[in-house]
Amino acid sequence: MNTNVTTNNNALCELALKGLYFVDDPEVGLNVVDLGLIYELNFDEDAKKLDATMTLTSQFCPMGESITSNVLQSLTDAFQDWYINLHLTYEPAWDSSMISPEGKEFLGQ
Amino acid sequence: MFSTVSDDLQQTTSHKVVLPFYAYAAISFLVACIVLMLHTNVVKQHYFHPHTLAITHIMALGWGTMIILGASHQLLPVLVEGKLDSYLLATSTFIFTAIGIPILAIGFYLFHTGWMLQVGAILINVGIVCYVVNVFASSFNSKKRNVHAWYMIAASLWLFSTVFFGLLLVFNFNKNILPKDSLSYLTIHAHLGLIGWFLMLVIGVGSRLIPMFLISKYTNNRQLWWIFGLINASLISFIIFKTMEYNSSIYYISIALAFIGIILFVRHCFLSYKVRIRKKVDEQMKTSLLSVVQMVFPFLALLFVLILLPSGTHSNWSILYGFCFFFGWITAIILGMTFKTLTFIVWNKVYHKNAHAGKTPVPKELFNEKMYTAMLIAYIVGFLVFAIGIIILNDILLKSGAFALLLSAILYVINSGITLFHKPTNA
Repeated sequence: MNTNVTTNNNALCELALKGLYFVDDPEVGLNVVDLGLIYELNFDEDAKKLDATMTLTSQFCPMGESITSNVLQSLTDAFQDWYINLHLTYEPAWDSSMISPEGKEFLGQ
Repeated sequence: MFSTVSDDLQQTTSHKVVLPFYAYAAISFLVACIVLMLHTNVVKQHYFHPHTLAITHIMALGWGTMIILGASHQLLPVLVEGKLDSYLLATSTFIFTAIGIPILAIGFYLFHTGWMLQVGAILINVGIVCYVVNVFASSFNSKKRNVHAWYMIAASLWLFSTVFFGLLLVFNFNKNILPKDSLSYLTIHAHLGLIGWFLMLVIGVGSRLIPMFLISKYTNNRQLWWIFGLINASLISFIIFKTMEYNSSIYYISIALAFIGIILFVRHCFLSYKVRIRKKVDEQMKTSLLSVVQMVFPFLALLFVLILLPSGTHSNWSILYGFCFFFGWITAIILGMTFKTLTFIVWNKVYHKNAHAGKTPVPKELFNEKMYTAMLIAYIVGFLVFAIGIIILNDILLKSGAFALLLSAILYVINSGITLFHKPTNA
């Protein structure tokens, strides 16, 4: 997987991303991972706690509620007995450099 | 176990508030095209003709205003960076205007200047007051007020000015409450709505949505404030010149101010387009960008009105001016933006909670693209043929143009229905 996601556990991160590849930004038609919206996935295996940090393409994205709720649902499905905490941040603000090479190809760049 | 989202996420307005406006507007567009088809000969009459007034008000209120009210309830949280203050006020806006508009339109059609026009106008005013209160409460409850929110606030005030002035004109038909007859004030009433409401709102919302849909990072608030100032100065100067009864040449000042504002808006859209991340632009965005260019047509018609009307002839150019506004620019932007915003709203309604479960359709798959293209062709042909028909006063062109516009309205209604009644298709 060619992503910019920061993580403390590559194996679990891969498991999380598997589901997140199915969560699209509906306007762009591209999944949130290739779009570069997922910033961080930090796992605490002992406490069974996942801290996820993500952003949106625009702070005023009208689909934001839907995207975050689907990201949360996807992570909850992947880690069913875990406590999932999803943080939404706009620092740093998303820009096109965060899109993966596959995503750029999809967007015709 | 359990999960949380910690954020300051945008609050989305419920689809239940928004969708009735879209459905109402679609039917209004169809009705307006049917009436136009039946009465194409009105372009040869003075614009103060009952059927022309009926078509204009169905287009301005039932079509343009209702869909913009619906979209603005949805987009208000995005624009004011907060949430919609009251669903009750939003529903009241719909109920009062939805009842008032047909009463007013039938009143004009039959030229029943008594209770029909008065009741229709009062109901519309109540609905718009609810809307203005909602816009103000939502905007001032929000911590921040950006330039887009000020466009919204100003546009809602101009909308109220338009309908309240319209109410006065309606009562002035039977009792002299204004110094002159209602016809004398018609241009002020019309421009309050066209420039103050439609132009202000479309620029305010468009300057946010067009870069957002193009996934463009372009922003230039200073330029948007300049446009805000120019459009308002244009309208206020026009009202002053008209009230003072200056001669027609001074109106070029107002036209120039609005024209510069529009050119700056075109520049804003072009620069957003240039630095867009998504290279492939969909048909709906192309239609919306086409409507930006169409803004120039009414100005050209207006220049002819100013040059030719003092001779007392060529009143068809005034009709062309109004036609270019309502059936041109406003209709084009609605045709394009409907299948961007409506599909989003319905997508959010249907797939809000289960888009992760499997490959879900994207919003653009919630309408029939071929039908959209056919609608667009019918619309462009209808608009151009009818406009030429107005200029050369040719009955065959007028009927053919009206028929093509009617066809585009039928396709629009069917396609809107496909989106509105979409059922989930993912696993």
